[in-house]
Amino acid sequence: MTTTVVHERIPEPIGESKPRLDNRKKVTGAATYADDMQFGSGLLYARILHSPHPHALIKSINISRAKALPGVKAVVTGEDFPGFIGLYLQDRHIFCRDRVRYVGDPVAGVAATSEEIAVKAVNLIEVEYEVLEPVVNPEFGASPDAPLVHPQLSEYKVVPFILPQAGTNISNLFKVRKGDVGAAWEKCAAIVERKYRIPHIQHVPIEPHVAIAQVDETGEVTLWGSSQSPFAQRNLIAQALGISQSDMRVVAPYVGGGFGSKAGVSMEALAVAIATKVRGRPVKLRLTREEEFYTAFVRQELISYFKMGCDKNGKILAMENRFYWGGGAYTEYGVNVTRAAGYSSTGPYEVPNVKTDSYCVYTNHPVGGPMRGFGMPEMHTGLEQCIDDLAHEIGIDPVEIRRRNCIREGSILVTGSKMHPTGLPQCIEETAKAIQWGQKASPSAPNKRRGKGTAIMWKAPAMPPNAGSSAWVELAEDGTVTVGLGGQDLGQGTFTVCAQMAAAALGVPYESVRIATPVDTRFSPYEWQTVASRLTWSMGNAVVSAAQDARRQILDLVSEAWGEDPEDLDIRNGVVVSYKSEQEIPLKDMVIYGLPKPNDSGWMGGPIRGRGKFMPTYVTSLDPETGQGERAVVHYTTGSQSVELEVDLDTGQVEILRGASSFDVGKAINPEMVKAQMEGGFVQGLSSALFEEMKMVDGYMQNPSFVDYRIATTTDAPSDLQSVIVEVPQDDGPWGARGIGEHSMVATAAAIANAIFDAVGIRMEGPPFSAEKIYLAMLDAGIVE
Amino acid sequence: MAYHKITLTINGEPEQVDVPSNMTLLKMLRERLGKTGTKNGCAAGECGACTVMVNGEPVNSCMILAVECDGSEIVTVEGLSDHGSLAPIQEAIMESGGVQCGFCTPGILIASQALLNRNPNPSEAEIREALVGNLCRCTGYVRIIEAVQAAAQMV
Amino acid sequence: MLEAHPGLPEFDYIKPKTLAEASRFLADHAGEARPLSGGTDIFVRMRDGVWKDKYLVDIKGLDGTDEIVYDPSKGLTIGAAVAMNRVSAHPDVKKHYAALADAVDKVASYQLRNRATIVGNICNASPAGDTIGACLLLGGALDVHGVDGARTEPLASFFEGPGSTALKPGDVVTSLRLPLPPKGLVGRYYKLGRNKSSDLSIIGVTVVGFPDKRAASGYRIKLALASVAPTPLVVAQVEEILAAKPVTEQTIAEAAQAAMDACTPIDDVRASARYRKMMARNLSQKALTEIWNQLGR
Repeated sequence: MTTTVVHERIPEPIGESKPRLDNRKKVTGAATYADDMQFGSGLLYARILHSPHPHALIKSINISRAKALPGVKAVVTGEDFPGFIGLYLQDRHIFCRDRVRYVGDPVAGVAATSEEIAVKAVNLIEVEYEVLEPVVNPEFGASPDAPLVHPQLSEYKVVPFILPQAGTNISNLFKVRKGDVGAAWEKCAAIVERKYRIPHIQHVPIEPHVAIAQVDETGEVTLWGSSQSPFAQRNLIAQALGISQSDMRVVAPYVGGGFGSKAGVSMEALAVAIATKVRGRPVKLRLTREEEFYTAFVRQELISYFKMGCDKNGKILAMENRFYWGGGAYTEYGVNVTRAAGYSSTGPYEVPNVKTDSYCVYTNHPVGGPMRGFGMPEMHTGLEQCIDDLAHEIGIDPVEIRRRNCIREGSILVTGSKMHPTGLPQCIEETAKAIQWGQKASPSAPNKRRGKGTAIMWKAPAMPPNAGSSAWVELAEDGTVTVGLGGQDLGQGTFTVCAQMAAAALGVPYESVRIATPVDTRFSPYEWQTVASRLTWSMGNAVVSAAQDARRQILDLVSEAWGEDPEDLDIRNGVVVSYKSEQEIPLKDMVIYGLPKPNDSGWMGGPIRGRGKFMPTYVTSLDPETGQGERAVVHYTTGSQSVELEVDLDTGQVEILRGASSFDVGKAINPEMVKAQMEGGFVQGLSSALFEEMKMVDGYMQNPSFVDYRIATTTDAPSDLQSVIVEVPQDDGPWGARGIGEHSMVATAAAIANAIFDAVGIRMEGPPFSAEKIYLAMLDAGIVE
Repeated sequence: MAYHKITLTINGEPEQVDVPSNMTLLKMLRERLGKTGTKNGCAAGECGACTVMVNGEPVNSCMILAVECDGSEIVTVEGLSDHGSLAPIQEAIMESGGVQCGFCTPGILIASQALLNRNPNPSEAEIREALVGNLCRCTGYVRIIEAVQAAAQMV
Repeated sequence: MLEAHPGLPEFDYIKPKTLAEASRFLADHAGEARPLSGGTDIFVRMRDGVWKDKYLVDIKGLDGTDEIVYDPSKGLTIGAAVAMNRVSAHPDVKKHYAALADAVDKVASYQLRNRATIVGNICNASPAGDTIGACLLLGGALDVHGVDGARTEPLASFFEGPGSTALKPGDVVTSLRLPLPPKGLVGRYYKLGRNKSSDLSIIGVTVVGFPDKRAASGYRIKLALASVAPTPLVVAQVEEILAAKPVTEQTIAEAAQAAMDACTPIDDVRASARYRKMMARNLSQKALTEIWNQLGR
């Protein structure tokens, strides 16, 4: 017999790969998404008139012809809605009022009895513009010579940790001053300086944005939408319209992918605003795929400068980084990307001397918002190539330089905080092993070159310091459990994971747990947003706490009824058991009607409802001049990715032969779903590395369709994708868990770039590493004729 | 605009519908017949979320007019299962973890079923080629391919 | 900026009973009516507002349009409404017209190929059309039904510019005919897209070849290029070089260079002209080498 050392009992079904709760609905077509909801014949269809100019003043709008069209029920413009909207910085009106700032900016909206009529009405609206010079480059945009995109920047309402620079296009500046960078360069044996340019890309959820809004005769608003953030939408739209949050209800059915694009508020406010003018009637706004590309959030572009140096042993001594984030026309959400990049600007390395300037810059491009990774893929794509170059410069293996410098428990981080326990060193070993790092395989054909590359990453949940979660747990007559929560399942599987956690904390089988869906701000408990890969950790904590509360109520009741110590009682498999008296009672016999008092003297107990909440209480502010502070973030998830690929010398095409990912998730509540995140993130990262770019010319997107904005298909994704889970527990995570959703695409593009370099010795300024770009770079380098 | 009376079967059920010329099969299924399992992801024949079978062959239902389907047999995702008993491909994709957000899933299921109908033992390359017109942004395709392989074994 | 229609704009669907009726309707509504077969190009362009036709005239089911027939004494006839998947699955197409089967399988996706047709590909005359090169090199001709009755349009003189052809108002193409293949014919289509498959071509190279005693080299090898000129481009110099001189690595390189020199690509959102030119050379070389290997080297 073997002996097992038990540290702490991990209850079932934590760590078990349970099937998704919503599997059956999704494979039968029964799952209802926002566009599938039925609103009857009273439904009105909305269409939006978009700005055709990247930057212009609105001189006049004539809506009279549109209004006169039969079937048109409302035509609205910015005049109707004076309020500001925005998550961190209120720099946006629902409809443009005096100025348009990107091609696609909403100028007017129409509600009509059919989509066709709405289209016709939009075409009848006449707008006179005075065209202005657009800002299309963030580095130029940050200079004093650039025209101002938001002349009123200094008047906007803003949260305390975002620092707009009055009289400029810089809507946030995050600075790090740590140690003495100037003195450190002299001690370096090798220094590299690099510039990278990361283009705008788009999230491309397969479900485009849909919102249906209805305002009743009393002014109460209901919004049904494909949403990652029902509570944030409630809050921000209510503020913009000047109504109570309690009179604004958001219902969020199944979401067909989000990746950040459905966080915060984007087109939802348009539907609500139009609906206020046609009281009683639901108004549906559905983005076309084309509109999805340039009128919803996009990922910010980035121009980054890195300078880094190390001693002769490869120990990194200093980094000096400058980031110009192209925030687009409005940076109400994007300003915090810049901040996150600032406080994470060294990447997952311990660097004693750091200088960082991270600028969020307005441009006349589509609105830069949150996207999977929240600035980290953009930043790491440059940083992790630069680390490779530094390794080559000093003559150390790229994996070895990462081993020597990566953060470990106790490392002093860029903001001065101390690193918590982390499995990053182990992740590095896992991915190196998976692709047989150091062994060069021969190419599959004479016209191909083979290469391997690695990149590592870190990312913290980027959010306000006090973003909270709450949950409740109820039981039904048959003992089944329903969990109320306010986070959203975008496909990542949070409902399944929360059901597992509730089952474990309460002591019931997984199969008997349901989630109260759809999330509805009127009935569901508060959740900040489904972003930042924070739900498993934050909402999970709230769910566990609610389940424990219910459990406590149950055990207190039974202990009173049986006259036993609650410590001797347990709930196992849906049955309360006493280890002392060996009595048993199934939950179904007591969770609604309670239990009889002894001697027929009445009843005790009653319906069980557990409640729980979680909010981090320990995050502090950072010094605006140095970026230093006690604790910048809640925690960092870390990891490593490696790839092996081939470059075709005839065409420049890249084929990814295999990929490996390893992340420290603290504790995998559902290991197969964790691996599924690693696989999906890897391929999204691959797609961004090889194919994706919003091609912008003078502020106009050239490729707003799947015809010319290509994403990875079945034949682009490798069949050999390994995913290795590392588990170094998070001190305040449920069973030690922390997030993984976004992290899985952060290092991918850099790993691919490093592998291309390994294969053919070329570097490019930025992705996509298209066949053409690679071929032309090989031509310049004399590798091909 | 002209209207056309058409007769067709949807998942074995006969239907009569009066459709305008410009109504796609996708729009008719979703807005006239309540078959909302078929999804609209691009309306341009590129994403595959709207894939249904017309007379046994998968097509993008956004790229075919309803009126062109007069007399046809249509199978949508709702028609893959038989009174609650799921098809092997549906069981397999649940088992493999090939479902995430689920928006591409109906189209993937139809395209996969059509592949298995014409080729009961497809190679991995054949599966990838058959699903190249079905975009998925969540899974990286790994578990979807596994599901089709597993379903082929189950039949 | 692309402001695509959320659905399809309004039009009337017309289902004529005869070819004559179809031709007459199309002629009477010149400029506002268009024959409809697979619709995969039409619907996209109407959504985008590029085409604004009032009528779509469905030609499916009209005389011969739904048939694909191989006659060992005459060759192959592909009806205008025959979906691409039916063409590439046809055993005689695979056997006798490999270049065409290969090209068809590289168009878009399986679903789309269940609607898209080769005749549609030809009539839309996109320089990027994947299947056109094979049809040109295989000596294809179109059966056209016009207001004045039936006629034949050889593909060699069919294309006039991007989207522009020898078709006149009232014309309905009923089928594509490919003559019997020369003995020992081999063929191949090379396509370069941004993705590995399913993309529009950055460049497409079709090559066919067969032993020919009348050629000094003993071989007749022909090459056509897609996406590098205003119309699908047959590079006659390739055939001349590889017929006149012995086929060797050197003459193949020379022929590939001729292909590069012959093309006049443009910069667009998919690729630059410069890259396209170089790919014309590299992929031509690759395709010609493979055909040479297939011919027995």
